[in-house]
Amino acid sequence: MSTSSPREINKVLVANRGEIAVRIIQGLREMGIRSVAVYSDVDREALHVLSADEAVPIGPAPAAESYLSGDKIIRAALDTGAQAIHPGYGFLSENGDFSGAVEEAGLVFIGPTAESMAVMGDKLSARRKMRASGVPVVPGTDEPVTDPETAVKIADEIGYPVLLKASAGGGGKGMRIVHEPGEMAAALRETMGEAGASFGNDAIFIEKYITDPKHIEVQVLGDGEGRAIHLFERECSVQRRHQKVIEESPSPSLNDELRAGICAAAVKTAEAISYRGAGTVEFILAPDGSFYFLEMNTRLQVEHPITEMVVGVDLVRAMVEIARGNGICYRQDDLAQHGWALEFRLYAEDPGRNFAPSIGRIETMAIAGGPGVRLDTGVYEGFDVPIHYDPMLAKLIVWAETRELALARARRVLGESVVHGITHNLPFHLWAVNQPSFMDGTYTTHFVADHFTPDAWLPELDDGARAALLRAAVLNEDRRRGNGQPTAAATQEEPANWHLTALRAMTRNI
Amino acid sequence: MRLTKRYILNLDGQEMTAEIATEDGRVEIQLADDTGGPVDARPVLNGRAWSLRQDNRQYLVYLTALDGKGSVAATLAGRPVQMTALDELRALALADIEHHDGGGVLVADIPGLVVEIRAEVGQKVERGQPVIVVEAMKMQNELAAGISGVVSEIPVTAGQAVNPGDRLVVIEPEEA
Repeated sequence: MSTSSPREINKVLVANRGEIAVRIIQGLREMGIRSVAVYSDVDREALHVLSADEAVPIGPAPAAESYLSGDKIIRAALDTGAQAIHPGYGFLSENGDFSGAVEEAGLVFIGPTAESMAVMGDKLSARRKMRASGVPVVPGTDEPVTDPETAVKIADEIGYPVLLKASAGGGGKGMRIVHEPGEMAAALRETMGEAGASFGNDAIFIEKYITDPKHIEVQVLGDGEGRAIHLFERECSVQRRHQKVIEESPSPSLNDELRAGICAAAVKTAEAISYRGAGTVEFILAPDGSFYFLEMNTRLQVEHPITEMVVGVDLVRAMVEIARGNGICYRQDDLAQHGWALEFRLYAEDPGRNFAPSIGRIETMAIAGGPGVRLDTGVYEGFDVPIHYDPMLAKLIVWAETRELALARARRVLGESVVHGITHNLPFHLWAVNQPSFMDGTYTTHFVADHFTPDAWLPELDDGARAALLRAAVLNEDRRRGNGQPTAAATQEEPANWHLTALRAMTRNI
Repeated sequence: MRLTKRYILNLDGQEMTAEIATEDGRVEIQLADDTGGPVDARPVLNGRAWSLRQDNRQYLVYLTALDGKGSVAATLAGRPVQMTALDELRALALADIEHHDGGGVLVADIPGLVVEIRAEVGQKVERGQPVIVVEAMKMQNELAAGISGVVSEIPVTAGQAVNPGDRLVVIEPEEA
C-alpha cells in the first residue's frame, strides 16, 4: 500500500473479544469510525458486543469454531460493509494466512504484512535476520541443533548455563535450561519431543542463559515502507507462568544511554523488515547492562496503555492511520516520556492456589477512579465469565509524575478497588507494590518465584479492621435473614432437641 | 424491648462469637473478645457494603454472601477475607448435617470439563490423594480426596462438562 493512495476506512470489524475488543471499539468511535463486533454463542452479553455499533454471531463457544474461524470473520466483514479488520492480540492477530486472506478479500488488515509475521514468527529466522541487520542477539546458534555432541561443543564455547529453545516456541513452552554437559543429551531429546508435539516443528537452537534477566520491550510504529519510530520502552519483569502480570513504563533499569541504545536497536529491527503498523521488540537485559534481541511481537500488545499514558499517544488511532495509507501520525522528535505508568492485569485466578483460574459471576466490581487512573475492561457487574477464554478480565493502569508517586497511587487504587464473585489477583498486586525489590526497581523475572509465599502473603489485620469485618458479617447475615427483630427474638430460648430436628429439615433448603 | 441473638463467626480459620442486640431500632454488636468499641453501622452501596464507624474510624466493608451456610466473601482496604457468620441455631443444625455427610463428597467448585478420573469405585484412597482432574480456562486442576476411605460412587465420566455443586466423587469413610 502506498502513502499516495489513502484507503477509505469508515467501518472496521474487530476480530476479538474481551477488554482489547472494547478498547479498539472505543478508539474507533472517537475517530468517527463505525465498529462491528463478532461473538461466539456464549458472548452475546459480553461487553465488546454491547459496546459495538453492529454485532455478528460467528459460531459456538470453542475459539477454534468462532474467534479463530477466519472465513466466518471475513464473511462478517463483507456482509456488514466493513472495509478493514482489526485483529487485536491473540486469536488471529499473528496468523499470516488470515491476514493474507483478509487482503485477498479486498479488505484492509490493520497490522503488519504476512511476510513480517513469517520472519518474526520463527525464532531462528528472526535471529538470523537481526544478526544480519546489526541488532544484538543472545550468543548462540543460528541453525537447528540435533545431536548432543555438537550441542555440548557449542555450549562449551558460549559457557554454561545455556538455554535450549524451540524455534517455533512461545509462551514458555519448549524451553530448557542446561547447567552442565551431562544434562545435555536428555534435555535435547525432551525439548525436541515437546517442540515437535506442541508446534509441529522440532527445530531447537542453543542460547546463552542470562541469569537474573530483565524483560525490556520497545513499542514501535512502522509505515510499511522502511521507516519506523519508537515510543520508548516498557519493563515487564513481573511474571508468573512466563506470563506478564505487571508492566511499567519507563523501565527503572535503564539510564539515558542504555535507553537510547535499546530504542535505536528496536527501530533498526522494524526498519529491517519494513514493518507496518504497531509492533513490540522484546529484549533481554543482563545485569551487566548488555541487551539482546529476544523476539518481535507483530501486534498491538496487552500492555500498550502504559506507553499511551507516558508518551501521550493513541496507538489504535496510529494503527488505523497507517492502515489508511496516511503514514505514521507522530514524529520521533515530538515524542518524549512524561511521568510514570504501571499496568496491573486483573486475572480471574487464585494467587494462593498456584494462580489457578477461577470462574463465576462478577457480583461486585467497584474499581477506584480519581486522578491518573485508567480501566480497560472486558467485563462488568453481573457478567458471567465464560470458561472458554483467557482469564484476563481487565487492566488497571495508573499514571503519576514519578515512579514513587505512581506506586503510591497504585496502592491507593488497589486498596480502594473491589471485585467479588470470582477469585482474582488484585490482592496479589497490592502485595507486589509493597515488596522492597519492586519498590526499588531491582526486581527480575524471578520476582514471583523468589518472593511470593502462597500461604503467607496477605497482610495481617489489625484489631479495628478485624472487628469491623466480623461486625459487618453479623449485620449482613442478620439483615439477609429478616433484619434482626423477629429472628433475634427466637434466640431468647435455648434450643431444645425437638427444635433442632425441625431446623435441620429447614436448613437443607437454604 | 431488648432482643439479642448470638452468632458463631469464623474469620480466616479463627473462631469467634458475637452477640447482636436490637433495642428501639438501635443495633449493638458485642464481640466475645471485646474488641472494636462502640459502632455506628449502616448498609450502603445498594446493600453490597457496610459502612462502620468505630470511634470515628471509618471502615467500608464489601460483603457478598456465597451460599446458604453463612459463607461470605469480604474485602476491606483491598484485603480479601473469607468468613462465615451463622446464628447459633443455624450453626448447630448445619454442624449436625455435616456430621452425617462426613466430608467425603467431592464437588465441582467451578464449571469445567472432567479430563481424567484417577480412581474407581471400590478403590481405597488416602486423604489428599488426587482422584479427578477438571479443566477450566485451559488449566488442569487436580482435585484431591477430602478424607481417607473407599470410593463408593463416581457420578461423572471423563469428557463430561460439570457445573459448580455437581458431585464428582463420593468417598465413604473407613470404619474405625
